[in-house]
Amino acid sequence: MGQKLLISGSPGCGKTTWILNTIKRNQGACGYLRLTEQANNGQEKSPESLIDCTFLKDQVPHLQDLSSCPDTSISKHKDFLSLIELSQSQSPDQLEAVGINPYVKSQLESLKLQPDRHLHFGRDSELPNNDTLVFKELESWSLNLAKSVWDPQSLNTFWFELVNGAYGDVYRAKGLMNLPDGQSIFFNWIVSQKGSQFLPLKTVSPPNGRPERPSGLVIQGKGLDCINIQSTINLCLLNDALLEMHQIPLRDRQSEAIYAS
Amino acid sequence: MIERWALVSGLKGDLETYELIQRDLKKASGVTALFVLGDMVGPERNCDALLNRLQNPRRDELQPQCIYGWWEEQLLTEQGLRGEQKADALRLNQGEEAVTALLNAVDTYHLKWLSSLQFGFIELDCGLIHGSSADIGDNLTPETSPLILIDRLTRLDVNRLFTAHSTKQFHLELTGGGLDSQVKDLNGESQHQQRVSKQSIIGIGAGANYTIYDVGSDETHFLTVGGQYNTKGKGFA
Amino acid sequence: MKHAVISCLHANLAAVKAVLNDIDQKGISDITCLGDLVGYGPQPNEVVDLVRERDIASCQGCWDEDIIEGLNACECSYPSQLAEKRGHLAHEWTAEQLTDINKDFLASLPTSIRRDRILFVHGSPNSQHEYLLPDMNAFAALERVEKAGADTLFCGHTHQPYVRELKNGSIRVRLQNTSNHNAEEKEINLPMRKIVNAGSVGEPRHGSTNATYVIHDDVTGEVEIKEVAYDIGLTCQAIIDAGLPRIFAWRLSHGFEFAEQAEDASHVCER
Repeated sequence: MGQKLLISGSPGCGKTTWILNTIKRNQGACGYLRLTEQANNGQEKSPESLIDCTFLKDQVPHLQDLSSCPDTSISKHKDFLSLIELSQSQSPDQLEAVGINPYVKSQLESLKLQPDRHLHFGRDSELPNNDTLVFKELESWSLNLAKSVWDPQSLNTFWFELVNGAYGDVYRAKGLMNLPDGQSIFFNWIVSQKGSQFLPLKTVSPPNGRPERPSGLVIQGKGLDCINIQSTINLCLLNDALLEMHQIPLRDRQSEAIYAS
Repeated sequence: MIERWALVSGLKGDLETYELIQRDLKKASGVTALFVLGDMVGPERNCDALLNRLQNPRRDELQPQCIYGWWEEQLLTEQGLRGEQKADALRLNQGEEAVTALLNAVDTYHLKWLSSLQFGFIELDCGLIHGSSADIGDNLTPETSPLILIDRLTRLDVNRLFTAHSTKQFHLELTGGGLDSQVKDLNGESQHQQRVSKQSIIGIGAGANYTIYDVGSDETHFLTVGGQYNTKGKGFA
Repeated sequence: MKHAVISCLHANLAAVKAVLNDIDQKGISDITCLGDLVGYGPQPNEVVDLVRERDIASCQGCWDEDIIEGLNACECSYPSQLAEKRGHLAHEWTAEQLTDINKDFLASLPTSIRRDRILFVHGSPNSQHEYLLPDMNAFAALERVEKAGADTLFCGHTHQPYVRELKNGSIRVRLQNTSNHNAEEKEINLPMRKIVNAGSVGEPRHGSTNATYVIHDDVTGEVEIKEVAYDIGLTCQAIIDAGLPRIFAWRLSHGFEFAEQAEDASHVCER
């Protein structure tokens, strides 16, 4: 039976990055699960879970999704490493009091995933000590952007406005955005770190209509102007006719390239 | 492989000249493409036979790649295919008779094809256009200010601009020079010297006068139907 | 004699008042305006009224033209879909607010004003929509001034003030045509010319929130770029009170001007 780690910490502390690096370093196979501290109104996965899972799966294609197949024979292998990410929307008052709440416990039990160790950012010295914000309570806003495609220049402008405070004090923003050329870009921004991270996923969809893969945006902060965030996003997304206009030359180029080869 | 382009313009319905050019091109070696830079139509004669031929080339001749020119623009404008305007430029220059003659010279059947033609082609680092990207009627000649020529090359972002509207045959190369630019703003002053890039403007001629361009050697050959080379414009590589 | 050149007022009354006050304090009475009196800002009528009252000679800007002619700016002049949709919102609001008298006034404005060898335009002599940026190809920039038959060209539209001197220019050419067998070579010397961009009063985009304008001395030829602070809070509140998108206020208060530039600055609409 392999090792099972539960990783927790406040938003933006670097959980997903640490997990990605750990998976890449691990010799054997790995599985990943993302849990939240509260029930999610019956939805299967929150946009944040979708973003993290899709991003990790893109970076490490052989990564197993523990939420769908926790008990396979490979996961019982002694080299198998299970990484369980616990997203916390609230900082515990005292680090010593970091615990696992009953809702999380019940989820772990139902998936037969009893962690061998619990590592918490800011408490355990083997985790990097990133400069995170001390907060009591964060507003969180998320949007599922499945099948939505952005006008690229509009996305640049929106992101610039978002992280520079046009829609309230944003502490953390993370997204997986579809572009008309079939690319999906991972957007990652934390107030305590300089600049945004933009990482194109390795998997690219054909420029042929709306992509099927997950897409979403998660924002955490204070005094968020959610109405204006939503209305600005609406102004940035391409309708069918404009998407087609973006994609026609790309398809032509693709077929030319095929013809030439 | 040797790649040479034939560049033709200003046929104005003259199928006979077009056939003579095609005959010459068969004898010339290595001509792989034929570009017709507009003015396929004109008021002097009926243009339908030439237009039919350009749309339905014979199997044994070079397939023409056509763009529209000043005369097509006048025709399409007068026929209401360019918004609400009319062929005012033609009316002003040559009077109502010329407008009527132009309308009579082209069967309306051809309007659909003519209105589907492009404004220009970009091939490699060459722009092929009837006048220039500033205006379809841009009359670029060897006497045109080099400042204007640089502007037209810059607009298309090409190193060679093939133009036809002036009907002249020439190869003008920008070989050197520069311009000092000093910019002062709220952050201070900066100096810059813009050098002249090695770029060319090539007038391809009209009607019986046409041009062959050798892509590899950058040489232009100015020809006249049935005749020898008028001049060989040596490439300036 | 010194004269002041202002541009791109964009219906920002507090900024226009502050700049006119600054000019008055310097004892300058000759003022030329390079257009875009309206657009994005919350006080289009107040700003046009003030320009008319003060009898300031003005060119027509692209916004002034679009308000009268209907939305005429080509879509390709907007850098993004977002900028375009917000631009349309601002356009509709402004067109609704402007009085008929003020619309007639904007319609009456010339596209250029000439004073001997000085030409005043909004964008470039080619088009109200063309951006003459400070790093544009120097020969193409010189061509704009030459074509206009001017020694000095005053323009706006980019919202970034600068003075550009173009000098010591020459071009060498080699010509081959059907009448000469040997290539003919010649060298052309270019004249010295100047482009002055007056920046923006109502929507600065030079890295600060201050309004900008220029003062030109037509005896010495000297040009000074001026920055004037104004009560931005007043304009931002008026934007919100008017029901215009709040983002216009946010950008103004941060010195990020809303109207991002089209990527292809030399692009001229064919329409």
